Amino acid sequence: MKIMIKFLLLVSLWSVGIFAQINNLRTHAPMKLDCKKCHLCDTPTKAEPCLVMCPRNKIEPVRHSVEEAPVDIVINEVDSEKDLYTPVNFSHKLHAKMSLMSGGCAICHHYNPPGKIVKCSTCHEKNRERENLSIPDLKAAYHRQCMACHTSWEEKSECRSCHELNDNIKISNTILPKLEKSHAKIKIPDKIVYQTDSDKGELVTYFHRDHTKLFDLKCMDCHKQENCENCHNQKPDFSKPQPDDLHDKCSDCHDTEGKCYVCHSNVEKKPFNHPTKTGFNLSNFHSNISCITCHKTKNRFTGLKKECKNCHKDNEGYFNHSITGIMLDETHKDLDCEDCHVKNNYMKRPTCSDCHEEDISFPKNIPGEKVRKNHD
Amino acid sequence: MAQNRRDFLKTLATIGVSTGAISAVTPQVAKAGPTNILSDNRMGVLVDATVCIGCRKCEWACQGAHDKVQQDFIEYENNDVFKKARRPDTNNLTVVNKYDSELLGSETIKLQCMHCDHPACVSACIVGALSKEENGSVIWDTDKCIGCRYCMVACPFQVPALEYYKALDPKIVKCDFCFERTKEGNLPACVEICPVEALTYGKREDLLIEAKKRIKNHSEKYFNYIYGEHEVGGTAWLYLSDKELAGEVFPKLGNDPAPGVSESIQHGLFAYFVPPVALYALLGGIMWLSKDKDKSEEKL
Repeated sequence: MKIMIKFLLLVSLWSVGIFAQINNLRTHAPMKLDCKKCHLCDTPTKAEPCLVMCPRNKIEPVRHSVEEAPVDIVINEVDSEKDLYTPVNFSHKLHAKMSLMSGGCAICHHYNPPGKIVKCSTCHEKNRERENLSIPDLKAAYHRQCMACHTSWEEKSECRSCHELNDNIKISNTILPKLEKSHAKIKIPDKIVYQTDSDKGELVTYFHRDHTKLFDLKCMDCHKQENCENCHNQKPDFSKPQPDDLHDKCSDCHDTEGKCYVCHSNVEKKPFNHPTKTGFNLSNFHSNISCITCHKTKNRFTGLKKECKNCHKDNEGYFNHSITGIMLDETHKDLDCEDCHVKNNYMKRPTCSDCHEEDISFPKNIPGEKVRKNHD
Repeated sequence: MAQNRRDFLKTLATIGVSTGAISAVTPQVAKAGPTNILSDNRMGVLVDATVCIGCRKCEWACQGAHDKVQQDFIEYENNDVFKKARRPDTNNLTVVNKYDSELLGSETIKLQCMHCDHPACVSACIVGALSKEENGSVIWDTDKCIGCRYCMVACPFQVPALEYYKALDPKIVKCDFCFERTKEGNLPACVEICPVEALTYGKREDLLIEAKKRIKNHSEKYFNYIYGEHEVGGTAWLYLSDKELAGEVFPKLGNDPAPGVSESIQHGLFAYFVPPVALYALLGGIMWLSKDKDKSEEKL
């Protein structure tokens, strides 16, 4: 009897195993692939899938944020270059950030198996004399990756753009100009006026600086499909941008189907002005905060009341002075607003002289303590 | 054995007379033809012009490997040279030129000896100084070279250059596929230094497979043609580009080996030195006759 039970247990365990495998096969079988295309061994398991390492066409995105990317990487794996040049100090993070405006990490990390990011040298051999000529060797892989962009705008191949000269290299009669390594300061345009063929208004005035500074948009919010060449282009393309492309860029926030007049006009538009448009003056206290601090619903900037209580309120809906940056002490807490803010004018400094001697004044003396504003 | 033109002519005259005499009696003489090996394992280089960045490091490395006058390698970053198409010369056995390109705006292409499978220069060389070696390289024996420049005329790619600056004993110079380096197991200097591996060194037949693979996988990037696969019977250096190279970069050449016609004429002309000897004999005869005439005139 005991033997029977043992046997049954074994059978059930075995069948579970079979089912588990069948389950696995279900996702694989319809692919009509040769197992050897992805697996090196005959019996791959979940723990040891023995995957083929380097297929170029299988792009696995890098799964971490740019902030986690290493800052600088010294590329010193290529031996032969060291005779003339020192290893390249590659500003990895900077490039990674820029890559977000085009293809992301995958434009360089064009293959990555699931999991850790593999080194270039995992696939690209260091030896130039090798069997597999289809994959460039390591030195070529690095250079091709960099030069693909760098030559496209420079149209020259100055090695010293990336490499320093090695100390033991003597240059006889050439005076080498110093090369500027850092990226030139990017000039952000204040506004761009687009001339269009639209019958809804020929001109579209785009206030670039307002969008980045005031409306707090990140570069990547609009520049999603950029290419280094768009800026670094020796032969700029002066043909008019296509309406579709431009509408696409704005349509994330603006209604490009309906309200044409918001952007299109026959005259150059004036920049957005909060007080004239809405009647709420931002100067003094609200000029340096981003729109979303108050306009909390995404892409909806209307419907806020002008009352201070709208934003400066506690959980119960009462006015909370702390949110202005000053937490009132016990004595000032119970006063009326008007006692300090004469005629409820909050644009002017509060007056202390009604109760205090002349030597006490704001902001020298504070009626409480400074606290962090909740939008800092 | 160093040999200059004068020596050569002397030897030729001596040999000519003796062979002439022998050939009159025995037409079958062992013929010491030039080495012309076409090995199945011959090497080659695949030049991928779509990858080349025009850094001219190959020119610099080549000059170093062949004891030529080398400038500071920084000088090679100067792109002004691209304003004019250059040809390989005695100091630059390889040159990189810039050409207009449809897809990329411009394309830089390295030129050097193509190391033909059926080299016209080898066939044209009257002293057998040039030879096609087993590894695919076409090299020459400086000691044998007499500077006759027949190879320069014969070469369909106009590669061999003559040391014109030497008043005495100028020789032929061209790319030797880094024969000395490859013999020791090293890569050709240009292939080794190329930062982007626009030059791939390998067995010619492997390179052809690789080239076809690249064209197939990236049909948008390449012009569907491997220059050098069939040109003048095939060359060791093969070129991939995004455009047709024949016509602009290289001359338009047929697929027949260049030596075909020239060799028959050439070899016919010099076969067993019969025609030159016949010519000498003719000239000698005229001389002989005119000498008698002079004497008879003197007598008068």
